[in-house]
Amino acid sequence: MQENTRKIKIKAEIATMKNVIRDPILLTTIIIVLSIVTLFIVIPLFRIMGSSFLFEGGVTMKYYEAIFTKAYNRLIIKNTIKLGLTVSLLATSIGFLFAYASAYLKMKSKRLFDAIAILPIISPPFLIALSAILLFGRTGLITRGLLGIRDAEIYGFKGLVLVQTLTFFPVAYLVLSGLLKQIDPSVEEASRSLGASRGQVFRTVTVPLMAPGIANAALLIFIQSVADFGNPMVIGGNYTTMAAQIYLQGIGSLDMSGATALAMILVVISVFAFIIQKYYVGKKSYITVTGKISRARQLIDEPHIVKPVQILVILISLLVGMMYILVPIGSFVKLWGVNYSLTLDHFRYVMDLGIKPILDTTLLAVIATPITGILAMVIAFLTVRRRFPGRGYMEFTTMLAIAIPGTVIGLGYILTFNTGPLVLTGTAAILVIAFMIRSMPVGIRSGIAALQQIDPSIEEAASILGASSQKVFTSVTLPMIRPAFFSGLVNSFARSMTLVSTVIFLVSARWNLLTVAIMAQIDQGKIGVASVYSTMLIVIVTIVISLIRFVVSRLGVSADDITL
Amino acid sequence: MKRLFSLLLVLMMALTVFAGCASDEPATPAADALPGDGLELVVYAGLMEDHAILAMREFEKETGVKVDMVRMSGGEIFARIKAEKENPSASIWYGGGALTFIQAKNEELLENYKSPNAEAIPANLKDADGAWTGIYSGYLGIEGNKKWLEENGLELPKTFDDLLKPEFKGNIVIAHPGSSSTAYNFLATVIQMKGEEEGFKYLQKFNKQVRQYTKSGSAPGRMVGMGEAPIAIGFLHDAIKYQKEGYEDLIFTAPEEGTGYEIGAVGIIKNGPDQEAAKLFVDWALSKEAQELGQTVGSYQFLTNPDANPPEEAMQLKGTILIDYDFVWAGNQRQAFIEKFMEMTQTELPTE
Repeated sequence: MQENTRKIKIKAEIATMKNVIRDPILLTTIIIVLSIVTLFIVIPLFRIMGSSFLFEGGVTMKYYEAIFTKAYNRLIIKNTIKLGLTVSLLATSIGFLFAYASAYLKMKSKRLFDAIAILPIISPPFLIALSAILLFGRTGLITRGLLGIRDAEIYGFKGLVLVQTLTFFPVAYLVLSGLLKQIDPSVEEASRSLGASRGQVFRTVTVPLMAPGIANAALLIFIQSVADFGNPMVIGGNYTTMAAQIYLQGIGSLDMSGATALAMILVVISVFAFIIQKYYVGKKSYITVTGKISRARQLIDEPHIVKPVQILVILISLLVGMMYILVPIGSFVKLWGVNYSLTLDHFRYVMDLGIKPILDTTLLAVIATPITGILAMVIAFLTVRRRFPGRGYMEFTTMLAIAIPGTVIGLGYILTFNTGPLVLTGTAAILVIAFMIRSMPVGIRSGIAALQQIDPSIEEAASILGASSQKVFTSVTLPMIRPAFFSGLVNSFARSMTLVSTVIFLVSARWNLLTVAIMAQIDQGKIGVASVYSTMLIVIVTIVISLIRFVVSRLGVSADDITL
Repeated sequence: MKRLFSLLLVLMMALTVFAGCASDEPATPAADALPGDGLELVVYAGLMEDHAILAMREFEKETGVKVDMVRMSGGEIFARIKAEKENPSASIWYGGGALTFIQAKNEELLENYKSPNAEAIPANLKDADGAWTGIYSGYLGIEGNKKWLEENGLELPKTFDDLLKPEFKGNIVIAHPGSSSTAYNFLATVIQMKGEEEGFKYLQKFNKQVRQYTKSGSAPGRMVGMGEAPIAIGFLHDAIKYQKEGYEDLIFTAPEEGTGYEIGAVGIIKNGPDQEAAKLFVDWALSKEAQELGQTVGSYQFLTNPDANPPEEAMQLKGTILIDYDFVWAGNQRQAFIEKFMEMTQTELPTE
């Protein structure tokens, strides 16, 4: 009996294998995709693992021992986790508040929420840290100017919590507002007509329905907080986190092995969170209906509920808005904290310095964007629609790339591609690859989501009529998932332009990138110049995204379907 | 929202064009063939960024070599060169403390080259084998924010020992010796002044006074100028530069008991891709004209070329007492001392 099932299984596998081999384009695509994934995600990880265990030809645990026996290293791990938990709690709460206000409450300026949610995506990851220094530093506008506090301390844990919370709460907002909109209002209305108060409905119906979504958002934020590199570098002070320490130890002190051991521990922490998120929380869903909601929700308009929420939400929005406006303003201020007269000196300085990093970054991001977009859709297509050996491996590793912190990937690339058969360091190619690998997972995810909503019978029909896999993909699948494809493009461009953690290991004299240049300016204390660069980066991202949206709307896809 | 964006955009464009015009220099067409025509060169520069940019531009104009340059801190450059040992992408290391150059020489990362222009430079300012040659020297000192000191009724610390006073606890900023040649210079100075054992005891206490370790050696001084930090350790020529830039609250002093100094150097990276252009560069960097460039953009170090005129701004430091600095010893010990320092400061929990 068992023998029989095994035989059937093997037969089925041989059949899929044959199908794959019979379709040479499909076969080549699979081989290309699998080798990209292996070469640029799996091998670098193994190199890191190898380097953390090897010493003079033998296996050693000494680097791990060094981490766990030294109080300072243990403190760094504790710091990272403490920060991650705090930020994930705060940012999820604020995100929930925004999502709830947007889906349930009757109030104006809801479009503002969406605008606020997009800001962190189109700006460099440490931008809020920069403005936090301008606002709350020792010479900050608010601390010194408004409140007259002389010993304000923004560097450290408190500053990091503030900055990361403001940077990451939009993640929770986007996840939760999508979910809240899918809750069928009739469930809550039923509870209301049975006599429950607003508070009771909220506690006993809405929140339990949202619980998996909240957990999901919290874990996503935890992963991002733990992986965050820019903010701890800029505003961490002596509160060191693992992602920053990996860079400082690997490049600053040239202790590669120590850095790799630390990187492995960081990977374990975030992959653990990722697995809980994907396989445990992500699978649970209490969404009440599939498909369209029966009718629109009647929005809550009782002033005693709306007013306090509204005030809170507007205050937070103002704070975030101020942080983003401050940077363009900072680029015109002569010497922040000392001399507030307006000047163009910083712009002139940037022109003098050369706009090469600006052009290079844009060029490389423009090259990476279509490749990433298409590759992401191909992988989504292969994942959902095709059966072949290695599919599970492909799906898992591409998704894993989300959970691996950028610093770790950067370190892995240095170890893998500096010597050996494939030398890529110092080239533009390695930067484009870093852009691709870092922004692909989001595209894949939206591609998979889009494909799962489309009945495969349409594609099967094309197949039966004799279309090859390539034909099916280009003339049937891709047109149907256009919105996901274009969203992927927009997203991948924005992510590439703002990426810092991975590429800081990979830039060279020939290819320097904007985000890295900004970090260098901040480190030298040239806040004005850093502000100019940051402003330019935001402007470029905005222009290109608007361009993509414009072109896309000409192609007949509504620009509103393109989400970030 | 959209309108706001487009407005912002137009504004930005206009500014960029304006700023661009303001700094445009007339391009002079090369009439004669230059020695470096057709050559390319990749430079890792440890100088102040504006100084480095100016130097590259002048060098390109004078020799015709096409230069790609990136600025990093001294320690970062060293780490980069070491990481790229098998496949170097740069050929010149320009600026940054000689101590890091000495360690690089010991690890066989540098090419020996005795430039004809190096002959006039005193022997204590260059490597005997020509692995590196000094281009400037600068003195280490203490910087403070005048306002903060006044508000707290304190005086600027006059000696390195003054830094250990309880009122400065958590108020000192310095770069990390691992990433910055400035900070390693301080570490080596302290050890030379106090002896190894006493020196490390001092550093252990000093570590508790420190509020933040930055990556670049020049950052702490600027932070003091901005009022972000009250006290910093750094090079005094940088402090002069910041004062000139408009940080009026920045004051500085050289320690009474004497202080350390650095030699900024230039060297050729072993097996770098453009050795010929690299030699041209070293010759040029040692010339009177090249050395005098720095003072026009606020680099006020003393110069190594005896013919070059030192910047007037540096004259106020003329009377500084210097210790008898053993560069070779300090450079040879770099790895060991940094490891010891990290070991020591890491096992101590940083107090918040």
